[in-house]
Amino acid sequence: MDFDDLASRLEMDREDFLELAGLFVTTTQGDMDKIRQAMSGLNPADAASAAHSIKGAAGNLGFEKMADLAQTMEFQGKDGNLDGFDAHMEDMEKMLQGLQVLL
Amino acid sequence: MGKNIQPYSVLVVDDNRVNLKLIEKSLSKEGYQIHTADTGPDARASALENRPDLILLDIEMPGESGFEVIKKLKDNAATNAIPVIFLTGVSDVDAKLKGFDLGAVDYITKPFHPQEVLARVRIHLKLSIATNSLIQSQAGKLRQVTEAQAAMLPQPDEFPGARFGVYYKALEAAGGDFYDILNISENITGYFVADSSGHDIETSYMTASVKALLAQNCTPVYSPLESMKMINDVLVEILPPGKYLTACYMHINRSTMQATIIQAGHPPVVCLPVKGEPYLVLTEGDILGMFPDAGFGKVSVNISRGDRFFIYSDGLVESADNKVTWTSGADSLLPVYNSLRQVPFKDVPEAMISQLFGNGCHPEDDVVLLCVEV
Repeated sequence: MDFDDLASRLEMDREDFLELAGLFVTTTQGDMDKIRQAMSGLNPADAASAAHSIKGAAGNLGFEKMADLAQTMEFQGKDGNLDGFDAHMEDMEKMLQGLQVLL
Repeated sequence: MGKNIQPYSVLVVDDNRVNLKLIEKSLSKEGYQIHTADTGPDARASALENRPDLILLDIEMPGESGFEVIKKLKDNAATNAIPVIFLTGVSDVDAKLKGFDLGAVDYITKPFHPQEVLARVRIHLKLSIATNSLIQSQAGKLRQVTEAQAAMLPQPDEFPGARFGVYYKALEAAGGDFYDILNISENITGYFVADSSGHDIETSYMTASVKALLAQNCTPVYSPLESMKMINDVLVEILPPGKYLTACYMHINRSTMQATIIQAGHPPVVCLPVKGEPYLVLTEGDILGMFPDAGFGKVSVNISRGDRFFIYSDGLVESADNKVTWTSGADSLLPVYNSLRQVPFKDVPEAMISQLFGNGCHPEDDVVLLCVEV
């Protein structure tokens, strides 16, 4: 992941971008907790809402794969479908950990 | 930045702190003061407290949605003029239409680029500044018109020999009612009350023209009827199509003790004799400024010292709400004139308005009420 490139796309310096990326990790962990709660409560609408939050932030920072995955989860949740969410969450967790390592 | 320069402020509302921080960093670098909120109720509280110049508002938030926030902001007089740009998903056409319908000025699709946010904030602040400037400019011009009109209305202290009291209230900056007092000679005074069609800026220019015409034509050389006919002939030439006045001109000669009343489609003068019951001085006449060959009503009344006359505009006696026209309304007020007999003539107009409109009712139109004592 090229943080300099991502930062320059947003016309920001690297330091500011890393601060935002760190904040993204924290907020996304919170959103993922919400998704887990929604999964255990069988509440797809809440899962969609938290996935929507991840999608927006990831998209704004240029984390496209995470944004795409969050969008898939959001749309599924809005359709009332939590199928495959365990796998989705595993993938999301891996990507988030990968980001965290780089920070 | 100088100490006195207030930066433009933007309230950013998003339930995701990353998005808030991203916008905050981008806009604050450009000199904007940023307030943030992550829920709808907090956003509304911040808008009320900080009165930002612009609001960037996420639509999809848990709890109170962005739509509800816009609606509540627009329903509140303290926040309804703040431009709102909403943040929404690229494919969500319904959300965009609903946002506009609720009063938002623009939208930004997510994911957004900070430079796009900056560009849209700039353009909408410029529009807001231009609009506010236009409003201030128009308000300033209307204030000037109001002041100019007020300066044209003579006050009782300026004409002690005319022995009159007046109440004048324009509902809008450019009032349609107008009155003037004319010192024709030492013992002859002219009293003129008119109501022009319309309440716009054009009307205020008409007021100035009529005042000039009165000064030119209400002289000892002409009879009151001749004065009004000459004024009518000029107005017919200069007034725009569809503009006219209803007017009443009362000419009091305190030497011959005679009052002459010229009517041009105006509500009837009320005479309150010093000894006797009040009555309407009825006569009919064409309106002023519409017809070249207009015919005006004329009544002459022998007067006594202490007699009072009331000249007024239709706003005193008419009510569109209650379907009262001056033909019926004028008559119904006669007991009120009688009840104020003991009040000094200068104070009668105010007292009468208090009596008629004091208990929470307000005139539906401009009102001028002149009380003249012989």
